[in-house]
Amino acid sequence: MSTDVILFLGLAAVAIGAALGMLFSRNAVYSALFLILNFATVAVFYLLLGAPFIAMAQVTVYAGAIMVLFLFVIMLLGAEELRKRGKLGWQQPLALLLGFVLVAETAYLVFVRGDLVSQIVPAAADYGTPKDIGILLFDNYMLPFQVVAVLLLVAMIGAIVLTKDDRKIERKTSEEKA
Amino acid sequence: MQDNWLFIGIAVVIAAMLPMLPIAAARILSPHRPNRLKNETYECGMETVGDTWVQFKVQYYVYALVFLIFDVEMIFLFPWAVAYDNLPLLGVIAGLVFIFLLLDGLAYAWRKGALEWS
Amino acid sequence: MFLTLLPEITLVVLAFVVLTTDLALDRQSRAFLPYLTAAGMLLAVIFTIVFALPGDKPQLIFGGMLRHDWLTFVFRLVFLFGALATVLFSAGWERVARRGEYYVLIITSTLGMMLMGASADLVMLFLAIETTSIPLYILAGFITEDDKSTESGFKYLLFGAMTTAIMLYGFSMLYGFSGSTNLYWIAGALMSGELPFISMMGTVILVMAGFAFKVSMVPFHFWAPDVYEGSPTPIAGFLSTASKAAGFAVIIRVLLTAFPLEAFGGVDWTMMMAIAAALTMSVGNLIALAQTNIKRLLAYSSVAHAGYILMGIAAASELGGLSVVFYIIVYLVTNLAAFGVVAVAERTLGSNDLEAYDGLSRRSPALALVLLISLLSLAGVPPMGGFIAKVLVFAAAVEANMVWLAVVGILNAIVGLYYYLIVLKRVYLFRSEEEDKPVPIPRPSAVALTVCLIAILVFGTIIAPWFDYSGIAAGALF
Repeated sequence: MSTDVILFLGLAAVAIGAALGMLFSRNAVYSALFLILNFATVAVFYLLLGAPFIAMAQVTVYAGAIMVLFLFVIMLLGAEELRKRGKLGWQQPLALLLGFVLVAETAYLVFVRGDLVSQIVPAAADYGTPKDIGILLFDNYMLPFQVVAVLLLVAMIGAIVLTKDDRKIERKTSEEKA
Repeated sequence: MQDNWLFIGIAVVIAAMLPMLPIAAARILSPHRPNRLKNETYECGMETVGDTWVQFKVQYYVYALVFLIFDVEMIFLFPWAVAYDNLPLLGVIAGLVFIFLLLDGLAYAWRKGALEWS
Repeated sequence: MFLTLLPEITLVVLAFVVLTTDLALDRQSRAFLPYLTAAGMLLAVIFTIVFALPGDKPQLIFGGMLRHDWLTFVFRLVFLFGALATVLFSAGWERVARRGEYYVLIITSTLGMMLMGASADLVMLFLAIETTSIPLYILAGFITEDDKSTESGFKYLLFGAMTTAIMLYGFSMLYGFSGSTNLYWIAGALMSGELPFISMMGTVILVMAGFAFKVSMVPFHFWAPDVYEGSPTPIAGFLSTASKAAGFAVIIRVLLTAFPLEAFGGVDWTMMMAIAAALTMSVGNLIALAQTNIKRLLAYSSVAHAGYILMGIAAASELGGLSVVFYIIVYLVTNLAAFGVVAVAERTLGSNDLEAYDGLSRRSPALALVLLISLLSLAGVPPMGGFIAKVLVFAAAVEANMVWLAVVGILNAIVGLYYYLIVLKRVYLFRSEEEDKPVPIPRPSAVALTVCLIAILVFGTIIAPWFDYSGIAAGALF
């Protein structure tokens, strides 16, 4: 077995363990922390696939900022531990069934139709470096890039409009004018 | 390429071991005779009053949102900075427009008092 | 190349200017912001007509991200007109009139719609849809001290996020099948005939989920009445017209270019769209019968109108495309007028219940007249524009050998006429105790309503030029 395979198997075990930990933890904060571990492991998978930039984005945006947001929301709502099982009536067997179907499907693809995957050519070693992405971003994808700027501006406005108390904003502005 | 990451991986493992080893060693080697006084918090502040799972203020959430937006902006500007030398003038201007639009967003957050602790 | 994008650039600059002005001024001096916004949008309209006229040959610009053709052009004007009217209605709506960010959100949403109408690439399309939707989520929940508005914004966001995720899954499949994100490349890859029918149809369904949400097609229509009811009334009008038009612009472009009928062989998406059209108009019209709130009634009526427009798409012919474009243009001005009346009336009546409209014709004859014309046009009564639009979609369905669909459409038109007349009966025949209190119309709203009214009548009487323009626009797809 090559180092890649060993690394992959080890990380896969960590990722699955973290995912299970997130699901079964009775405390929302622990769940969030398990999710961070899961995200970090997935970031290493991206590295193994030769996509360092995506790995970096995964760590900074998902494992970093978004999980901070998650934790704040959990703490905002009060992080009480779950006492007993929630009321999931018919959803639970359905979810188990769907999960089983997914596993069976994946197993079929990997073990029976493994020939489908073997055709994939691995990307070149320097493919997907930040520099390549930068050049592509400002050549072909310049317009989408600018649209992203507008979108982020809108997100900023939305975050403030929806969370801040309108009357408070107005009072503050008028105080400054006075 | 992959080898470089291998070294980083080894460094991560060593970095994790450094604090874990002494803790584990202390647990194994040290005598274990706890009493009330020993178990108290020391050097790290006071004894906590009430429950430690307190409710956070909404303000944290607004901060986190603003932080998230600038985090995503950083992700987009990183390739711009790395590829700077190879970009046409138009690309450089595009990056500046991007920054200016988000500066306007920052000004908005500032002016509306979202960055203030009220 | 940049000249063709000048209207969009104008809007970005306008958003920047409005936001910065809002930050620099205090509340009192912000009253001119809606007029600043309207002036900027008018400028964008002029730029569209003067600098961004498409040539004879459609061209792909910005690395294949956008397609600059007559369809893009017509839809740009449609969205700008919708946004202009919405801004003018908002100027008379006190709770939002002085909020700069409100106008910035309308501007960015319009920008997203204009890009939606032009997108020829999945990456661009997705970003354009998000640039349209995210400001609309915020606008729907804009009045944070009103629980109904908050609920409406939240519902819209949840529903939108779910359908967007499904749509994105469809996009990723399309990319996987074809190895490209460009719609025209994808068409080529699907035409090669190597893909099984079920994969193609599955992808159509996944992709359509996101678009269906935008146009409130059954079964993705549940959000519409709740969101319209809670959101600020000018925004409800914007959602039901410009946002819906953007959804249809994307549907006709994506279905006709990326999923060419020849690639399917026999059974294709036209049957699916025909069934969706029949369901959408029937569900919309039948539930509208039971409504007692005018905003909810107009919401179900707008679901029904999405069904009529889908008839033209199901036809998948040149006449079908023409009828879709024509219907959208007429529907835009008509429904804007209807929601404009509701927004004006809400200020004085303080309620959106149908009962509050009793005797409106005595309190404001002008307002009642606009409501009369717009509702009759929605019902498809000649000589209003809505009549011609309905005739065209029915003709497209018949031409495409879907006579049953045209029959369903005509039956639905009769049901529609019934509930529109119920509203008008209240306005004109019922009496109320407050008849001596007039309903004032703010000047900006009056301007917008007048323009819409003239447009409805012009579309219904002088048909030929609009028919030709719609034909040219739809011709860009074939």
